[in-house]
This record gives sequence, structure tokens and C-alpha cells, in this order.
Amino acid sequence: MIQMIHVHKTYPSQIAALTDISLEIFPGQFAFVAGPSGSGKTTLLHILFCSERPTSGQVIVNGTDITQKGFNKVHQLRRTIGMVFQDFKLLRDRTVGENVAFALEVTGYPPAEVQRRVLEILKWVGLLGRERDSVLTLSAGEKQRVAIARAMVNNPSLILADEPTGNLDDQMANDVMKLFMALHRQGTTVIFATQNSDLIQRYPFPVIQLVRGKRVDEEAGIGIKA
Amino acid sequence: MKPSLQYVLVRAIRNMRRNLFPNITTVGVITISVLIFSAFSLIAYNLASFLRIWEDKIEVIAYLKKKTPAGEIETLLDKIRQMEGVESVNYVSPSDAIAFMEAKLGDQKNLLEGIHSAVLPPSLEVQLKKEYRDSTKIGGVVSQLKQFPQMEEIQYGQEWVDLFSSLVHILRLTQWVLGGLLLLAMVFIISNTLQLAISSRREEIEIMQLVGASPSFIQVPFYLEGMIQGLVGAGLALSFLFLLQKIVLFYLPSSMKDWLVKIPILFLPINTLVGILLGGMILGFLGSYMASVRFLKSSQ
Repeated sequence: MIQMIHVHKTYPSQIAALTDISLEIFPGQFAFVAGPSGSGKTTLLHILFCSERPTSGQVIVNGTDITQKGFNKVHQLRRTIGMVFQDFKLLRDRTVGENVAFALEVTGYPPAEVQRRVLEILKWVGLLGRERDSVLTLSAGEKQRVAIARAMVNNPSLILADEPTGNLDDQMANDVMKLFMALHRQGTTVIFATQNSDLIQRYPFPVIQLVRGKRVDEEAGIGIKA
Repeated sequence: MKPSLQYVLVRAIRNMRRNLFPNITTVGVITISVLIFSAFSLIAYNLASFLRIWEDKIEVIAYLKKKTPAGEIETLLDKIRQMEGVESVNYVSPSDAIAFMEAKLGDQKNLLEGIHSAVLPPSLEVQLKKEYRDSTKIGGVVSQLKQFPQMEEIQYGQEWVDLFSSLVHILRLTQWVLGGLLLLAMVFIISNTLQLAISSRREEIEIMQLVGASPSFIQVPFYLEGMIQGLVGAGLALSFLFLLQKIVLFYLPSSMKDWLVKIPILFLPINTLVGILLGGMILGFLGSYMASVRFLKSSQ
């Protein structure tokens, strides 16, 4: 369960990135966060991922109030969240397999388990056999699939995707979207930020519509009226 | 689940190999700093050991008035033997003194021809207990000896001992002041080089944070890196110092070598060596701690 209650985020330059955002997303739900550039989509995802702190309001992620004073288990929370970015954020000097394995190694999985899980997830994203290839040799769509594999390899219960199709052509975007749909079918909660209205219209999921940091979609049905 | 120590160690070594140049620079600077510090330690240690040997040999020579009656000497010896700090007293008559000088001069004893033993004063060789063989305590014994009316003059080489003691103190002080500055510089340099190394791995650290690596998992390899740099730098410095000492002793002029035969030239004792190595590691750790805390604070 994801909850944001009257969340405000103002940057030191007094720019209001989010204003009075409240929402509730249930386990296994797929939700779009939509809006033009600068509308606060990324800030909202970063707050859920604990890489930004809200100026005020309460945020609960997977049962943990991440806004409570003294919360310092960010790394443990992040192990239950997979994050996918528009620019992939892959290690360019590593292979496909090493990039995916990295997420398991840093959390202390034994090498045999790492190997098993990496091959399993690469098969799932359609990159089995490419594990020894450098990520530099991959197309943008393939890179995004590696990033999704890395985000998924820990079996997170929540996936936060920040415009993951923003750098892809339509065909690649569709392939990547199929992976997110598969995740949703498996019961993973997916919060998908995008400014692609065509993509949103193609899928019957609720939309959190942001404009200049404010929600403008009360009829979307997933907001809480606090 | 926690990553194994082996994994963390492998990562630290791999990181060092990937950033070879900054690592070599840091180790080089540490080596030079520790070398200067330990060279001062070595000189001070040898001078202090020389001073100890010298102090061990120190004895007080008390010259008696020539007209001291023979009957008083035995009583005087007894009184001195009972004084605090005195280990033994030996009476040297004028004829003993001439015999001693002849023995010392060997083939050149004819230089003493015509000198009658009566010109020499009788004397007492006062050997002090070990704990009384420093300049302050000798002074105490000497002032007690001066109270005896039979005493003409007392000698014990005080000026030399004092001068030498001051020299050792100055060296020790220089070692710690200069050493302290060098060590501060070392922490600063390690911290900056490691910060460069950490910055060059900004992307990797960011991804580690994204996938849920704990702060200690990210920081520990950097601490290890700093400690390895400190240990290697200190180890190299001590090796160079050892070689340097050997080379200097080898190339000493032979006249100086003859003089040094009686003085043992020592290398630093094992506990100092271990202390310097551990000190290098601790400074390496401090440098990397400062660097990683600064970096991770800004990147979390």
C-alpha cells in the first residue's frame, strides 16, 4: 500500500514542485503518473523512493512511514522497490549479466544464487544469451530491458518507473510496456510516470494527473479525499 | 543478508586497480611522510640508546685533599657506601693513579717520566646505582659528597650528559612537531585522493544506493582502501629507511666506523615498527572516512 497524505515539496529556491498531493495505491495496482515536463512526476517518484524528502505531509510505502522522524532504513526499503529510469542508469563498464547481478551482490546474495536469478530474469526480459555482452553494444530498448531486469531481480513488491519509454521508439516502447504489464499481472505494484498521452489511453489504468505540482484528476478514482 | 568480508575486500582491491594512478600518488606521499617521521624516530632512538649506554658508565670521581690523613679514608669510604644511591666506592691512591695512566698510555708511558705520584691527588671512584645514573639524581649525590671536608673537587661529566640529554629532547620534540604536521598532511592528501577516486565512481555509488546497498557496504571498501594505502605507504617507508641506514653505514669513512665500533647502531625496535605500520593504517582510515562521509552526505 502506497499512501501520500497532503504532501508538499518546495525546493530551497522556493519553487513548489508538489502541492498538497494525496493518493492511495493498493498492492498490485498499476497507476500512471501523467503530466508535462516540470509537473512534478519525478519529484513524486523520488519521494516514494526516499531520494527526496517532502517539505510536509505523510508518506507511507509498503507499510513504512518514510516521513517519520529518525527513519534511517532507506536502503532496506529500497530493496523492496525497483526503480527504472528513462536514461537506464546502467554501469557502462560492465556486462549485461554484471549489471543485473550488481543488485543482488550489494545485498549479499551468494554467488550461486546470483547466477541462478540473473539467468532467470534475463530469460524473462528476453536477453538470455546476452549476459556476457557489454551494455554498450545494446540498443536503447535492450538497455531498458536490462534496467528492468535489474529492478526486478530482487523480487520487489513495487516498481517505480520514471518515463521508461521516453527514449524509445514506438516498437521498443511497446516491448518494454509488455514487460511492465507482465509485472502487473504477477501482482507487482507499478507506478509509471509518463507524459505520453497515447500510451496512457491505450491502457485502462488509473491516472494521477499532475499540472505544476498539483493533482487535477479527482475523478481518476485512486485519490484519497483527505 | 550481508555481503561477505571477502567480497568487500575484493571490491576494495578492484577499486584500487581501477584507480591506479591516484592510488600510487597517495601511497608515494604517505611513504615520503612516514619516511621523514621514522628517520627522526631512528636518529632519536639511537641517540637515546647511546645516552643510556653513556649514563650506565657514568661514575663520580671525588678528588681528596692531598693532606687527607690515611686513617680518615677508611671511615670516609664507609660513610659514602651507606649513602643513598651509591653502589660501590673504590679508593685510588696517587700511585694507583700513576699505574693506571701508565697502563692507558701503553707504549707512550715514557711521557710520564719525571712525574712523581705525590703530585696527583688521592681520589674515590663512586659507582652509582642504575636508577641514580641521570643528571638530576647524580647532582643530588654530588651535593651530599661535597659536604665531606676531605673533598677537593668532584667531577662526573655533567655538562656532556646534560647537553646530550637536551639534544635527544630536541630531536624527540622535532620528531613529533614535524611528524604531527606531516601526518596531518597525510590525512588531508589521502582524503582528497580518495575523494577523487570516489567521485570517479559516482555513477556506481549512485546505482548501489538505488539497489539498496547499505551505507556501510558502500563505505567499508573505501575505508579498506585508505587502510591498505596507509599500510603499504608505511611499510615502504620503513623498508626504505632500513636500506638507507645500511647504505649510510656502508659508506661511512673508516675513521668514523672505528669510532662507531663501540656504539651499537640500532634499527627501530619491533614495537615502534608495529606502531608506525598501525599508525599508517589509522591515518589511511581517517583520510578515507573523511572523504567518504563528505561524498556520501552530498549524494544520498
